[in-house]
Amino acid sequence: MFVKVLSVLSLLLSSAVILSAQSETTPIISGGVQYLSTTASGATVFQPLISPVVAVPIGDHWLIESRATFDEVVFRENGSSGPYHALTFSSVDYLQLDYVANSHLTVVIGEFLTPFNIYNERLGPVWIHNLADAPLITGIGTRTSGSSDGGMVRGVALARKNWELNYSAYFSALVHASQFGAGRTAGGRVGIFIPAKRLELGLSYQRFLQDQHLNSWGSYVVWQPDSAPFDLRAEYAHTRGGQGYWVEGAYRFSRFRGENTWLGRLQAVGRMQQFYLGTPAPDDAVPGADTQRVDFGLNYYLPHNFRLNGSYGRQFSSLGNSNIWNIQITYRFLFPLIPGGSQ
Amino acid sequence: MNFTVALRTTFLALFLTAVGVAAQNSASQSKAGGSKSSSPQTGNAESAQGERLFQTQCGRCHTPPEDLSPREAKAVLRQMRVRANLTAEDERLILKYLAP
Repeated sequence: MFVKVLSVLSLLLSSAVILSAQSETTPIISGGVQYLSTTASGATVFQPLISPVVAVPIGDHWLIESRATFDEVVFRENGSSGPYHALTFSSVDYLQLDYVANSHLTVVIGEFLTPFNIYNERLGPVWIHNLADAPLITGIGTRTSGSSDGGMVRGVALARKNWELNYSAYFSALVHASQFGAGRTAGGRVGIFIPAKRLELGLSYQRFLQDQHLNSWGSYVVWQPDSAPFDLRAEYAHTRGGQGYWVEGAYRFSRFRGENTWLGRLQAVGRMQQFYLGTPAPDDAVPGADTQRVDFGLNYYLPHNFRLNGSYGRQFSSLGNSNIWNIQITYRFLFPLIPGGSQ
Repeated sequence: MNFTVALRTTFLALFLTAVGVAAQNSASQSKAGGSKSSSPQTGNAESAQGERLFQTQCGRCHTPPEDLSPREAKAVLRQMRVRANLTAEDERLILKYLAP
């Protein structure tokens, strides 16, 4: 049933491209490309990836959007020696129809990113996140595929001069279809944003409704002080399989000579995280033991949406300590889907 | 293995080309008086308000996109209205900043 709905959405997507070509806006294709080299415990893995997002606005209220990810993992047979092998993966991360009713309500149907805390929904794209590796607790609240199949409502519940209350609430069906897999869940996220302080605090909850029912909950904070080009992001998440947190700070050296100078393009990043193992189910996407990790990185924002990242991480775990080196190049692209669409 | 080498070479070539083009473009932009982020249409009050909104709402996650046409900017903002829970007024003002 759900696959039929998604097929209809795909058809709508194609016809909407043609329809929207004549409106004030244009269908676009955007996204990120990455080339990542990771060396962990002496073994190097290369991971080229492209993740295009198609967005087709229709009229004043509708939007069809979809993101796919194509990536390859290239590794040596014995870790640091032997012939190279490559595994190729592809996935549809979301394919959704949005109806923006007003500032307070947007209705989403289809496959969408599960709105649990902030990493999965907001920081996932390769050109956005400051460090190449996802936090240890990313699998909590976004279990199975990180996507949900069903319906969601979201928006700004209350907007006052000094604060805004935003929310997301969703229900997802169990879907086994290839590319559109999701678990049977319900949940939501609520956040309060204080523009003058550039501070957002939020809470997330998910009830897993298949097999063994269980709860996941989390909280997050995002803060960008006005006085410095500094970003602070943090998440905490808890489920039966374990709990943990990450705290990340990033400082861009743009105050010295401006954002577009050689120094101003540089950003220093640090992240600390801890995970404590609970009683995980076999398919829980959490580390297999108590784990602590620290990462330090440098990002260099090149013109034309290119970015160069390098980072070093040290992971401490009873399964083995390791050093993790990442070198990454990302490119963020955005083009009209139809030739001449930008005119 | 050959494929891997080819892939790595292609990425490296693309990257070096982009850096070269970017460096050239940066130089011509500085001659012409700077780019959007250094001189963001401050003459217009709504555009300045839109820039401020961009920094507080969108800047929580990412930097501004470069060189958007008004039609592209509208499509991007429709997406961000859903993803970042922007209000209609936020959308209107940020559009003034991204594509005045």
